[in-house]
Amino acid sequence: MGKTVQGRAVVIKKRKDYSKIKPGTILIAKEAHPDLVISARKIKGIAIEEDNKLCHAAIVAREFGIPILMGMEGIVKEFKTGEKIALDLERKTAYKIK
Amino acid sequence: MKNLLKETYLLDVGKISKSIERLWQEYQAVLDSKNPSWEAMNRARAILFFLGYFYPEKIALESLEKRVRFIRPKITIDDFFKALDGKDRKILGKYSKNKKFQKLSKFYLLVKGIKNRVENGSYLDEERFNRLYSKLKPRGYF
Repeated sequence: MGKTVQGRAVVIKKRKDYSKIKPGTILIAKEAHPDLVISARKIKGIAIEEDNKLCHAAIVAREFGIPILMGMEGIVKEFKTGEKIALDLERKTAYKIK
Repeated sequence: MKNLLKETYLLDVGKISKSIERLWQEYQAVLDSKNPSWEAMNRARAILFFLGYFYPEKIALESLEKRVRFIRPKITIDDFFKALDGKDRKILGKYSKNKKFQKLSKFYLLVKGIKNRVENGSYLDEERFNRLYSKLKPRGYF
């Protein structure tokens, strides 16, 4: 197992889902809205379907030093908000934990 | 938009900045006008797409990826972004007198500035645009 971060998933499907972010959140989204920056300090990790070095999620991750996995196709359908999950940053995978 | 592309090829950061502002003002003028036409609204839509997505995430990114390779001592594009966004003093200090690094930093910060611009409480004034666009959208438009 590589370097991992663990936390509770918040799956972003609508903009108002950003209000569900709590300290220790692992943010899961297709693409991120700039509203992400408001809660950035509470986010422990990001897994996102979008894959671009200049997308909002990538910029915010770099600015706040948040570990990020990009290009995670289909991840939004894989997890539900509230589930405890881990991001393996070296293997570039995400999985549920107990 | 064609000018902006040309100025990006030339990496004339001053002119790029002016062209971005010109487009932004044009976009704002459409949103501010009392009775914008459907055609004008679609011009605004094109500017929004161009400034918010296509220019930063495609054109500017490719330009940076291509040019960062010429910086000496070498730096990867990921480390370049990390240094600027994370305000890494060590790397920024190392390249503080490097003209290529400085010019590309200026360009990146300019692009990031337009990408993160907030107006009337929303990103790129998107909420106002969406409201006006829905009002004008013809019935059965596809």
